[in-house]
Amino acid sequence: MTDANPTPERSAEPTDDGEPLRVSTVERLCADIEANVSRVIVGHDDVIEHVITAVLGRGHVLLDDVPGVGKTMLARSIAKSVDCTFSRVQFTPDLLPSDVTGVNVFNQKTREFEFQSGPVFGNIVLGDEINRAPPKTQSSLLEAMEEGQVTTDGTTRELPTPFIVIATQNAVEPNRTYDLPFAEVDRFMKKLHLGYPDPDEEAELLGRTVGDHPIESLEAVTDRETLVAARETVSTVQVAEPVREYATRLVADTRENAHIGVSPRGTISLLRAAQARAVTNGRDYAIPDDIRAEAPVVMGHRIKTTGHDRDGTAVVEDALEHVPVE
Amino acid sequence: MSTDSSGHAGDRTLSIDADEPVGSDAVRLLALGCVLVLTGAYVSVLYDITRVVGGSQSLLALVGVMLLAATGLARTIRPRTAGVLALVGAGVGFAYYLTSAGVELGVVFTAADALLSDTVALATGLPILRMVQAGVWTLGFAPAPVFLSWYLALRGRYELGVVPGGIALGFLVLTGDAGTLVTLAGTLAAVGAVAFGELERRGGSIAQADLLAVLFAVIVALSLSVTIVPGDPSGPTHLVQGEAGSLEATIDSSPQRSGISGQVDLSPEVRFTVESDQRSYWRTGVYDRFTGDEWVRTGQSSRYNGRLASPPGNYETVQQTVTAETELGIMPVAPQPLSLGGDVTRETSVSRHGQPRPETPLEPGESYTVESAKIDADPAALRAAGTNYPEEVTDRHLQTPEDTSSEFRERTAEITAEADTPYEKAAAIESHLRSSKDYSLEVTQPAGNVAEGFLLEMDKGYCVYFATTMTQMLREEGVPARYVTGYTSGQQVDDDEYVVRGLDAHSWVEVYFPDHGWVRFDPTPGGSRDDVHTDRLEEARANGNEAADTEDSEDVPIDEDDGESPASDPNEPIGSPSDPNEDNGTDPGTDPNNGTEPDDPDNGTAPPDDPGDRIDGTTSDETSLSEHLVGIVRETGAIGLIALVGLAAGARRTGAATRLRRGVGVYWHGFRAEPDQDAERAFRRLERLLAREYRPRRGSESARAYLTALSAAETEAESATPLDPRVEQVLESYERAVYGDGVSRAAADEAIEIVDDLARSRLPILGRLR
Repeated sequence: MTDANPTPERSAEPTDDGEPLRVSTVERLCADIEANVSRVIVGHDDVIEHVITAVLGRGHVLLDDVPGVGKTMLARSIAKSVDCTFSRVQFTPDLLPSDVTGVNVFNQKTREFEFQSGPVFGNIVLGDEINRAPPKTQSSLLEAMEEGQVTTDGTTRELPTPFIVIATQNAVEPNRTYDLPFAEVDRFMKKLHLGYPDPDEEAELLGRTVGDHPIESLEAVTDRETLVAARETVSTVQVAEPVREYATRLVADTRENAHIGVSPRGTISLLRAAQARAVTNGRDYAIPDDIRAEAPVVMGHRIKTTGHDRDGTAVVEDALEHVPVE
Repeated sequence: MSTDSSGHAGDRTLSIDADEPVGSDAVRLLALGCVLVLTGAYVSVLYDITRVVGGSQSLLALVGVMLLAATGLARTIRPRTAGVLALVGAGVGFAYYLTSAGVELGVVFTAADALLSDTVALATGLPILRMVQAGVWTLGFAPAPVFLSWYLALRGRYELGVVPGGIALGFLVLTGDAGTLVTLAGTLAAVGAVAFGELERRGGSIAQADLLAVLFAVIVALSLSVTIVPGDPSGPTHLVQGEAGSLEATIDSSPQRSGISGQVDLSPEVRFTVESDQRSYWRTGVYDRFTGDEWVRTGQSSRYNGRLASPPGNYETVQQTVTAETELGIMPVAPQPLSLGGDVTRETSVSRHGQPRPETPLEPGESYTVESAKIDADPAALRAAGTNYPEEVTDRHLQTPEDTSSEFRERTAEITAEADTPYEKAAAIESHLRSSKDYSLEVTQPAGNVAEGFLLEMDKGYCVYFATTMTQMLREEGVPARYVTGYTSGQQVDDDEYVVRGLDAHSWVEVYFPDHGWVRFDPTPGGSRDDVHTDRLEEARANGNEAADTEDSEDVPIDEDDGESPASDPNEPIGSPSDPNEDNGTDPGTDPNNGTEPDDPDNGTAPPDDPGDRIDGTTSDETSLSEHLVGIVRETGAIGLIALVGLAAGARRTGAATRLRRGVGVYWHGFRAEPDQDAERAFRRLERLLAREYRPRRGSESARAYLTALSAAETEAESATPLDPRVEQVLESYERAVYGDGVSRAAADEAIEIVDDLARSRLPILGRLR
């Protein structure tokens, strides 16, 4: 079922609009977004921050959690905060790829085929319960994530900028899901867990939802152009040799200590995330701490362990524990 | 004695410290170097000997040839052949020595026991310098060990190679010729050679040599605290009961040598009395070999056999009776003694120069008689004496240290330019010294050759300087001369009685004239000497020093001016043979010490051990202190260097240096570098500071995480000192410097300042004061 809110006119806009912003501006921007999102999402500050850094670092996010903890709400509030178009795809076993990307429809009046764009044409796309759709449908989204464009019936169409996929994955009912192929999980910059809120937070959550849901009154704190410029800024953040070496050491360590370690794409993602993290801390250079903050969520899902007692995140934690920083 | 070898030692120890990774090649070089140093050690001892007696060039050439021969033969002949070669070489050298010493080779076999006893004498502390043919001996001695040890070392047999060198060095140690430093250097080199040889064999690396350096340091420390080297010449056996530092103690320190020192004292105590119908100098020692800073008597002594050699020319005889007033290790006689009488003569030995000496010290009151030859020679006869010297005289009495400068030679030639005959030369030198130098007991001994120093640089001195210099000058001019010690005639208390005190100690020169014999010359200016000595006696009397007088002498005035102080007599410009034999109280230059004037003999209030016993106590102490300092610098420096290297190696082993550097680094940033480096260094210091206070940073912990963890921990445990908020700034500078695009000078300086401040406040003592 598609619950799309397509905005085709925006998708045609050029990508490079706006000069890079100052680091301090971006820092403030992030803080604003975070504060804004926090009005809807109770707790989970770290996850909010991770999502924001992923957005700034041109990455996509996979939220892996039980239903009803606010995954969709998180995605929506972020989209709303940055004044971007938001579309949502609810993945079901019978969902077809064209339901995601869009189809050519014959227009009776003009006697021509018109492209009816799918939900993927949005700035922030929420792919809900992505593991419920068959791999073919999944891959249609994943290709879009990787390429930044969609090809239907021989026509290639650019996706809007920014294009951010926030996919959720249901951890329950494993026998009725199609696990994402390992290669495709790799395309997500981060895999995050929201988890249940604390009792206190939950009480506050309930208090907030009495009456109008706060998402309804949420207002944008920035616009799309600023977001694009901020992403420019992030990409200019300096990653010095020692930091790069530290990242490589960490990655190499996971390759040694797991069945399949972090891919080079994972390393690139790690550096991008670290760049974004540096900016949110007001620095125009990345430090090892940025790497350390991002490593678990960036690397964890890219690691395949042999045993079941130990997941990828544990391998990363191990690496962080013993790989020398300098 | 040790310039060469200490230089070697320095090189070697320094190269041990070198840290570069080197293979066995370098170890081999070090081992060979050590063998060379060992060789250098004993060759340097021999070289010092030859420098005195001559032949140093031949020695060096010989050593060089031996090294070359060993290098050439190292690969071609077998060790057994080399051993035989060395033995043959040693035999030839020994035979050469014996031949030139005038011993028939056949005697070697018949007089084996004498040879044995000679060797034993050498090995029990007889310095090689006392050997008559010391130069030849060294030339005979050197080749075998040099050849053998180098040959074996080149073949890689280091432990065998150090044996001949070790034996040679050990022998020189036993003779007392090898000084502490040379011995030490040689020993260390031997240890080093064996150790490096072992390292080479087992493929060790130079890095393991630091253990060796520690060993060296231990050896040095041990050898400095435990000394078993015999024959240390620095401990004088006083033949006269003079205190150390007195003139007597200096010139009569031992039977074989006569030292030269800086400032000396005069003792006013009466040593002996002489009954003689003629005034004379009383001779106690004759020396022929000059090393540059002391006189050595060569040759062995023999027991007195009832007759002494008589002078070649005409002479009259003079009878004396000498009575010891204190314990006396010497036997004063008027030159030239012909025969001795009395009980003590049964235990008297006579040197090759005809100077008797008691084998056991004379007791106070003991007396002996002497019959002396008074050489009958007037200046005219001496002028005509010619230069037909016997060979045995020229052999031993023309020696000058090999390194005597040409300046000294030229100066001497200048002074004697007008003189044609030996007598005129002697007179010219005598009058030159008398007129150009002042008499003073307060002098500082010049470094190096004393005669040179006195003639060319000093303007005052005392008899030892005058006599030494004149002897050397005469020898430069080819006139046989010798250095003589003894006493002046002393205070005449009766017609034929003389009281001789410690302050009468004197040294002078004897010059040989063919057909006449040894004639006395005294270059010391008499007048000022008298003044000094008379003052001293008066002072002693004023202090009530009872030993300053005998019963006879105490009433006799110190006759300061009896017209008999001829040394200062300007009316005799051409000098004078101060032969006592022609002296009837009128001989100029003979007796600087005539009568005396006891102005106050019984002022017995002051204690006898009054500070007045010294001429000038204060100056003396100061001088001796500075001399002492100068004297120890070189040896101590070398030893200190070895010890230092050992310490450094030990420190390296234990990692102490790194710790020290870190420890100091906490408090001192060091010199400024680039801002980025400074910022980084500042943070490292902060890290060490915090590590000391809290915990060290873990390797996997980032800088920021570390500080965060510390402040978190400290919030939990409130007892801890709060983390200074300024550390954040240091951290930021650090991060910016390392990961960012660098920090400004100001930021770096600020970081340094913060760390400085934090370090100061945590200083163990200073921090508490704040």
